[in-house]
Amino acid sequence: MSQLAPSLPFHRVNILTGTRTARLVEDPVEYAKQIAKAQRPLLVLGPRLLKITLGGKLLLEYALEIAKTKNIPICATATVKSKMVELGVQPDSVYDVVEIINALKDPNWKGVRKEGNHDLVLFFGFRTDLGEQGLSVLKHFAPHLKTMTMCKYYYPHADFSLPNIRKDEQWKNILEGIIENLKKE
Amino acid sequence: MAELKEITRKLKEIHEKIKAEIPWEPIGHTPMPEIPDLRNWDMKLLQTYKPFYAPFCDLCCFCTYGKCDLTEDCRGACGIDIATQQARFVLLACLMGCSAHASHAGHILDVLIEKHGPDKKINLGTSVELEAPNIRTVLGLKPETLGDLKVAIEYVYKEIAHLLDSTHMGQEGSCLDYESKSLHAGMLDHVGMEVGDIAQIVGFNYPTSVADTPLVDLGWNSVDKTKPIICFIGHNPATSTVVVDYLQENNLYDKVELCGVCCTALETTRYSARAKVIGPFSRQLFFLRSGIADVIMTDEQCIRTDMPQEATKAGSALIAALDKAMYGLEDATDMDTDEIVKKMVEEKKHFAILDPKKAAEVATKVAMAIAPHRKKQWITEQEATELAKKCSMCGMCEQACPNLFDIGRGISEVAKGNYDVIREIFNLCVGCGKCEEICPRHLPIFKIMQVGASKETWKVRTGRGPIMDTEIRTVGAPITLGTIPGVVALVGCSNFPDIRDLAEIVDEFARRKYIVVVSGCTAMAVGMWKDADGKTVYEKYPGDFDAGCVVNVGSCVANSHISGAAIKIANIFAALPLRGNYEVMADYVLNRVGAVGIAWGAYSQKAASIATGFNRLGVPVILGPHSSKYRRLYLSRKDEDEWKVMDARKRQIVETNEPSPEHLAYVCETKEKAMVMIPKLCIRKNDTPQGRAIKLNHYISLYKKYMGGGLPEDLPLYVRRDADIPLVYKKEVKAYLTQIGWKPKEPVGLPTLIGTYPTKVPVDSVIH
Ligand code: SF4
Ligand code: SF4
Ligand code: SF4
Repeated sequence: MSQLAPSLPFHRVNILTGTRTARLVEDPVEYAKQIAKAQRPLLVLGPRLLKITLGGKLLLEYALEIAKTKNIPICATATVKSKMVELGVQPDSVYDVVEIINALKDPNWKGVRKEGNHDLVLFFGFRTDLGEQGLSVLKHFAPHLKTMTMCKYYYPHADFSLPNIRKDEQWKNILEGIIENLKKE
Repeated sequence: MAELKEITRKLKEIHEKIKAEIPWEPIGHTPMPEIPDLRNWDMKLLQTYKPFYAPFCDLCCFCTYGKCDLTEDCRGACGIDIATQQARFVLLACLMGCSAHASHAGHILDVLIEKHGPDKKINLGTSVELEAPNIRTVLGLKPETLGDLKVAIEYVYKEIAHLLDSTHMGQEGSCLDYESKSLHAGMLDHVGMEVGDIAQIVGFNYPTSVADTPLVDLGWNSVDKTKPIICFIGHNPATSTVVVDYLQENNLYDKVELCGVCCTALETTRYSARAKVIGPFSRQLFFLRSGIADVIMTDEQCIRTDMPQEATKAGSALIAALDKAMYGLEDATDMDTDEIVKKMVEEKKHFAILDPKKAAEVATKVAMAIAPHRKKQWITEQEATELAKKCSMCGMCEQACPNLFDIGRGISEVAKGNYDVIREIFNLCVGCGKCEEICPRHLPIFKIMQVGASKETWKVRTGRGPIMDTEIRTVGAPITLGTIPGVVALVGCSNFPDIRDLAEIVDEFARRKYIVVVSGCTAMAVGMWKDADGKTVYEKYPGDFDAGCVVNVGSCVANSHISGAAIKIANIFAALPLRGNYEVMADYVLNRVGAVGIAWGAYSQKAASIATGFNRLGVPVILGPHSSKYRRLYLSRKDEDEWKVMDARKRQIVETNEPSPEHLAYVCETKEKAMVMIPKLCIRKNDTPQGRAIKLNHYISLYKKYMGGGLPEDLPLYVRRDADIPLVYKKEVKAYLTQIGWKPKEPVGLPTLIGTYPTKVPVDSVIH
């Protein structure tokens, strides 16, 4: 799914690409299609979701809406669980990010719902350095699954990534577009 | 037959080197181990704590066959795959780190043997009889003189050469074997560090056998700017100590101010408590650019490579005092002293001077000559605002920042007269200078940052060297029984992601009566924070190796005293012989000593080797988020893995289903998560019910505090029987256990891995 680099990563010092790099997607319709196509997607949520608001709403709320549209299971990392519970949602699993990635690497892992390992993993809310390193693990050692990011930075090691987005408004529109289209799919 | 002869010859050689005839303890199975000797132990560890690779680069460009693309399952032209390439890279990092310490140790040892002679006795004071736990354990040698330390360092050098050889193109083909080699390098690192610090303590008369070492000033504002200022940067005190001597001999000590950045600062305060500590590596460039130092003297490790350019910009004079970093400068070691001084003062030239006495004299004379003519003023808020107005808010600086700051916003706020954002960023800034370099408008960001830099001064307790045998006798039982809930060692660099996290971690665990140990740049960083009463952690907690205390062992090389303390517990408290007996020591530490290392802001290769050395000894290490860039962790999968140990009393292998310690090298994204991982990684199978209840009490209470309530999901794995449940949470925990159908399990009498993998060590060896 990856391709030759169409865009440079945002935090350049931390992230240098190799020969294969994420497909950059700007169109929420296409993003939603990819998610809807997945048999067993997983949403992995990071602590930055609790720190950033977009259009007066906590980023975590966007993540929960995405999950709700297609009943996508959630893995809460770091401190995400308690805020989720406060918002009335129980995560399907609690692992820290390196632990969930370690499990995802194993093709025979049963997944968070014990229905088999996931085929598409969406990452949302991590530091770019740790996030990109985690995606690198899966790019090299988990050919059985695809990865996708929801943050406003281009992540070369993912299979699908949003571009670097300077205006929060644009990011908000993309996220809302994904949610809308997932509802329709 | 020939092989047997070879082994006998080798053993004879080893026995000669370690003076086998002196029967202070029986010699174990692996005196002076070579690469294969501890491989089975490593493989046992790696079976549970599997390497987890996060490739930082998809390519390999090590030889001219390449660049080779190693993406997914592609192999290089030499046949290497991406996992093995990561492991090779980690080994190289460990070797760089190990070499840095070993070479520092070897150099300082030569300097001190030159000064005192090889027969100078090692005497670490009345409370430290077990002077060199790492050397004794690894080599089987009990070093009595400085000359004996030579044997240890030469062994380390030899092993480094073998290990480095294995990284050559087209050789080792297994990531696990590379890991075993990294673990070997890490272990050697602790030997090298121990040689270095023992030599320094003996040769420079550093404090030892004392806990209450002096508190010294910390922060750039502690420096008296009215005096000529000499600043030492690096790690090796060979020069700074000579400068102190020179000033004292010439009655100039009151007239010249001495300060330091990074570990040399800590070293210098161990020699003279009047020296000031500027701060950790992250403050280096900022301090250089402030121009406060009249003369900068560099030695080795973690010194900026653009030192001459930066010194020139700031109008400071530079002396490169050690051959490891000569910066292309003219070597003035044989030049006439007055001639050098003249050139440095009049022509503003920088020099390499490798004779410490000459360097000391030149530094003093140059500092005294140029200081009266130099301006050392901080920028005013108005000036900063004017400069900041040039910012176009292009955002390029944010893209260049490795710690992910929107520094441009800080600058644009300064332009509006708001200094809060820049103050916040300054506290977190790692001082790399990438933002200033990339700015298309050439804004002097570091200069502008001066308005955000705290003008406060703090305190740091001088490094105290080895943990005393008497202290080990007091805490050995409570640590292994679990009633002291753990030893928390915060080591290494202190950069990412937020320097303040460290002091908060220290405060939290000292308050909870853990034994907290710090070293290196972290020891400085934890001092840069005051509580509501205006006290730093060093003023708040005593410096003993005991519950609720905060011990600063010293600089990077003093990390060997932390691993040494773990070994001492096995040897002094549990009375297990350590001589050439590494597996038994490591097995004891892994299964019975609740210690955890935290390398929260680590960036250097030295941190990689120190941490890997701790791992081989059975001490888990927690790293900060950006340390995922080290490429390798050691993770277990608690739900899938086996947690079998030998119960040495019953001589039976038992499945404990208890992941303790859960991981060996682990990355946490946030401080909050680290706060919860620390108590968990202190849990050991050997805990008594009372000890386990205390440990779980902290685990639960920290979970509630930092993760926002509830109980840790994996708590049932750590409750063996009712008696393990902490009283305060009894009702809540019991309800949870009932709900998930928890069943009690037998605690293991004497847990050990010996007997569960092929080893020459008999199970009897672990019974004391
Ligand atoms: S060492 Fe191997 S993988 Fe690396 S460039 Fe050479 S042939 Fe390629
Ligand atoms: S100097 Fe500080 S603010 Fe500038 S790029 Fe480096 S870490 Fe970021
Ligand atoms: S790079 Fe320079 S001009 Fe651009 S935002 Fe940063 S400080 Fe301003």
